[in-house]
Amino acid sequence: MFRTALLRSARQAIRSAPRCQTPIARPVVRSSLFQSKHITPAAYFQAVRCYSAHAGLAKEEVEGRIMDLLKNFDKVTDTSKLNGQSHFHNDLGLDSLDTVEVVMAIEEEFSIEIPDKEADAIHSVKQAVDYILAQPDAH
Amino acid sequence: MGKLSGLQRAVLSLYRQCIRALRDKPNDTRENFRLFVREEFRKHINVDRKDFSTIEYLLRRGHRQLDIYQDPGIRNILR
Repeated sequence: MFRTALLRSARQAIRSAPRCQTPIARPVVRSSLFQSKHITPAAYFQAVRCYSAHAGLAKEEVEGRIMDLLKNFDKVTDTSKLNGQSHFHNDLGLDSLDTVEVVMAIEEEFSIEIPDKEADAIHSVKQAVDYILAQPDAH
Repeated sequence: MGKLSGLQRAVLSLYRQCIRALRDKPNDTRENFRLFVREEFRKHINVDRKDFSTIEYLLRRGHRQLDIYQDPGIRNILR
């Protein structure tokens, strides 16, 4: 903030400088011009904060993590039907209580909190993947 | 699994709260709590979905139990 203000006043000084043509003012103007050349790159670097880039989650990764989680879930006995399209009830034979457990495990895996209403709507691997991909703070 | 009734959703919501509460339990006893929660819900899995008074009673009891077991002082559970 302070730097920006300093920079702005320096720029204004340069801009207004040619108007006052008094010989005494010249060296001052020149030095401020000289300074601003140094300040500009410094301020530029200051302005660009380097946060680590948000990589985002790839669909394959999310799917893989959810599948691993289901593979390790003791209620899933037949993993042959486990794929990206599996329905928790129709394919994996899970009931509504098991589904709640799966969704809660997904919640824990991706460090998010899924509200009841949305959690009730997740019935398949694909729905879970889509939900996670739509969450910016899932990781 | 068709559309769920309000009461069914309330049961699932309680189940969800119970599972979230598990996360605060010590690592070495968490499985005991998990099995307890599962058993408590499965014990009454055959209650008729139209038997509202029973379901409501069980829901109230479940919430009370959750309150009790959520206490950090309770570190293990024996069945």
